[in-house]
Amino acid sequence: MKEFKSINDVLDFAIKGEQEAVDFYNQLAENSKTEDMRHVFTSFAQEEMEHKTRLTKIKAEGLYQFEKKEIVDLKIGDYTVSVKPSPEMSYQDALILAMKKEKAAFRLYYELAKRANNDEMKDVFLSLAQEESKHKLRFEIEYDEYVLREN
Amino acid sequence: MRIKDVKYLRFKTYLNAYCPHCNQSFNVDTINEKTLDFKAVYKKKKIDLRLSPYLDVFELEASVPVEKGDILDDLLCPYCSKSIVKKDFSCKECGTKAAEVIISADEKLIPFYLCLKYGCEWHGLSKADEKKIKLKIPRQDMPEQDQTLRIHNHQEVPYGYTSELALLEAGRCIQCKNPKCIDGCPVNIDIPGFISLVVEEKFDEAVKKIKERNILPAICGRVCPQENQCEEACVLGIKEKPVAIGRLERFVADFERKMELVKVPIINKNTGKKIAVVGSGPAGLTVAADMRQLGYSVTIFEALHETGGVLTYGIPEFRLPKSIVQFEINYLKEMGCRIELNHIIGATITVDELLENFNAVFIGVGAGLPTFMNIEGENLGNVFSSNEYLTRMNLMKAYKFPEYDTPMPKGENVTVIGGGNVAMDSARTAIRTGSDKVTIVYRRSRNELPAREEEVHHAEEEGIKFRLLTNPVRYLGTDDNRVKGMECIKMELGEPDNSGRRRPIPIEGSNFILDCDLVVIAVGTGPNPTIFQSTPDIKRNKWGYIEVNPDTNETSKEFVYAGGDIVTGSATVIQAMGAGRIASNAMHEKLSKIKK
Ligand SMILES: Cc1cc2nc3c(=O)[nH]c(=O)nc-3n(C[C@H](O)[C@H](O)[C@H](O)COP(=O)(O)OP(=O)(O)OC[C@H]3O[C@@H](n4cnc5c(N)ncnc54)[C@H](O)[C@@H]3O)c2cc1C
Ligand code: SF4
Repeated sequence: MKEFKSINDVLDFAIKGEQEAVDFYNQLAENSKTEDMRHVFTSFAQEEMEHKTRLTKIKAEGLYQFEKKEIVDLKIGDYTVSVKPSPEMSYQDALILAMKKEKAAFRLYYELAKRANNDEMKDVFLSLAQEESKHKLRFEIEYDEYVLREN
Repeated sequence: MRIKDVKYLRFKTYLNAYCPHCNQSFNVDTINEKTLDFKAVYKKKKIDLRLSPYLDVFELEASVPVEKGDILDDLLCPYCSKSIVKKDFSCKECGTKAAEVIISADEKLIPFYLCLKYGCEWHGLSKADEKKIKLKIPRQDMPEQDQTLRIHNHQEVPYGYTSELALLEAGRCIQCKNPKCIDGCPVNIDIPGFISLVVEEKFDEAVKKIKERNILPAICGRVCPQENQCEEACVLGIKEKPVAIGRLERFVADFERKMELVKVPIINKNTGKKIAVVGSGPAGLTVAADMRQLGYSVTIFEALHETGGVLTYGIPEFRLPKSIVQFEINYLKEMGCRIELNHIIGATITVDELLENFNAVFIGVGAGLPTFMNIEGENLGNVFSSNEYLTRMNLMKAYKFPEYDTPMPKGENVTVIGGGNVAMDSARTAIRTGSDKVTIVYRRSRNELPAREEEVHHAEEEGIKFRLLTNPVRYLGTDDNRVKGMECIKMELGEPDNSGRRRPIPIEGSNFILDCDLVVIAVGTGPNPTIFQSTPDIKRNKWGYIEVNPDTNETSKEFVYAGGDIVTGSATVIQAMGAGRIASNAMHEKLSKIKK
């Protein structure tokens, strides 16, 4: 397992994670069959890019103050069946994929927090986890509002 | 009170009287017999005129013989037995001061007086009194099929107003100077205008007034969510119940149809231009009628073997009889619209090919593609999308199997997921197919149920159970892969988020199993992509719905317009019709400027 020596190490790791997500969504956008879905994935990639920029800024400024706030978990990502990335994905599939991805990232940071060497580092991991649940919530709300809409 | 000059006190039996004490209206002409509801007290003896031998059915008048100088003690309300005689009036006819009169109302609900001195009858009240009386008339219910009987048939539940009830209800409208109801109506029908025509008993003119803005009043009167539209805005709703606008709309439309007063309008001079309408739901039907009326030649292309869209294959017979939908379609045919059934645009013919033969195309293909929740077990046997379930039942008349050859999906213990109209329709259909138990599972609470209140009420009456604040997380199957139950989780509503909606949040560890042998998923639908596969240049949003210019409903492809659920996602019949109207206005404006 990766050793984290400093907070900067942690942030580098997180920044790399966000970049991987950017690349992942850009790849999906490229493969998409339709213009609309290309758009969707490009916008997901953009959102990840914003997360990365935020982390880069935090690292540059050395400000590790993250607010701790309980994030609502609608658990939609927990109960939906996984979808495989494919050029024919619908927006619903894209949301499921994104929710699951954010959830996985949350779990990773949460695990890392449990194993952190010191409290400061633990806090950073926890806040990164919290950030990921915020991202997940955004997708879950979209899913709740449109896919689960009663008619 | 002393009776001086009259021989008989006469009461007309067509009277619809109203008691100022208990607010009861006494409907005189009921149960086939001519009955009169007053009680009179004569020589200290109470005479119940409802059973009175004095009632002359042929004359439609009841007469109590009285001698000159006799005393009629009082007239009583048959329900609360209080006096309906008002003592502080002077008779307008004979001018006698302190004449004693009863306040009541005739069939037009213009207050009615009977002078007990000379037996004079007269109408009219001061405005203030009139308003006071109107405000006291209770909102009139529609008579409907008994709840224990109706679950064994598929016939329509409410019978609709009789003309007496319609007059009573129309009489409640106070004809506001600044009528809020019109703003509440998505197509701005002149509501007080049509209601005042009902009061005048000009039912055929009333329906014409509605049709200026809404071509399908018999349908909208039945299925529009008036409680969130015109009736929500009605000022009477502030203190009392709002005027039953939808029931009146339905009444006049039914009157016109039953009396065979519907006439094909005069069609404008032929413009020589042709319009193709794709889809025969409410949006398409509106465009077809409008454009045909304006003198265009119109062809409707419908994918299925029957017309009407959701009106035919979605909303069940007991809520919207199919004969009414077909009547409206025949009307379009009589206007000269052509209808091509079994034509899937995008598969057999493309939009581009249509544009070669038509001057403009309207796309009203709805949002009928079922989406699933994507949870475990959705592919088990006997798990249906509401779309498939209702289509089988309605369009293929599975409920008439084996007369019709589609077998009916049937369960003893049915669960329906969702809380909208579609869920109620599915549940109420299931109970009519003889299921022992039908349960609706909905993830929010009763307050948030998006279905029409009337539907929820009818569903409850029919014995449908509600499991609120509950959501399925996976379905469980038998060895031969049929559904046998579902795992549910209890939910609670979180704090309102930025959009103001309270999201349902699962309660950790509250999972439980609900047995069932048939599941109908009435959550979510989407646009069917067929039509777009050959026409990628029609711009759509991420959900796959068409993007249009909201002023014209024209799409990104010139001369191609769209409206209804394919633009908004699942919405309402009246919104689809409103969208059709915007498109037809814009189409006409644009095509008028172009020479052939
Ligand atoms: C069960 C149910 C109950 C409802 N209850 C109510 C209610 O009580 N009140 C209310 O206001 N609304 C209700 N709605 C919603 C309402 O019916 C819809 O909003 C409305 O019908 C949308 O009209 P539309 O014309 O856009 O499409 P639709 O009515 O969906 O019609 C679209 C038509 O296009 C046809 N079509 C599709 N693709 C093609 C193609 N490629 N080529 C040719 N034809 C095609 C379809 O077969 C269909 O006939 C209900 C919906 C459902 C499903
Ligand atoms: S708001 Fe109500 S009372 Fe006023 S005009 Fe409209 S229907 Fe009549």
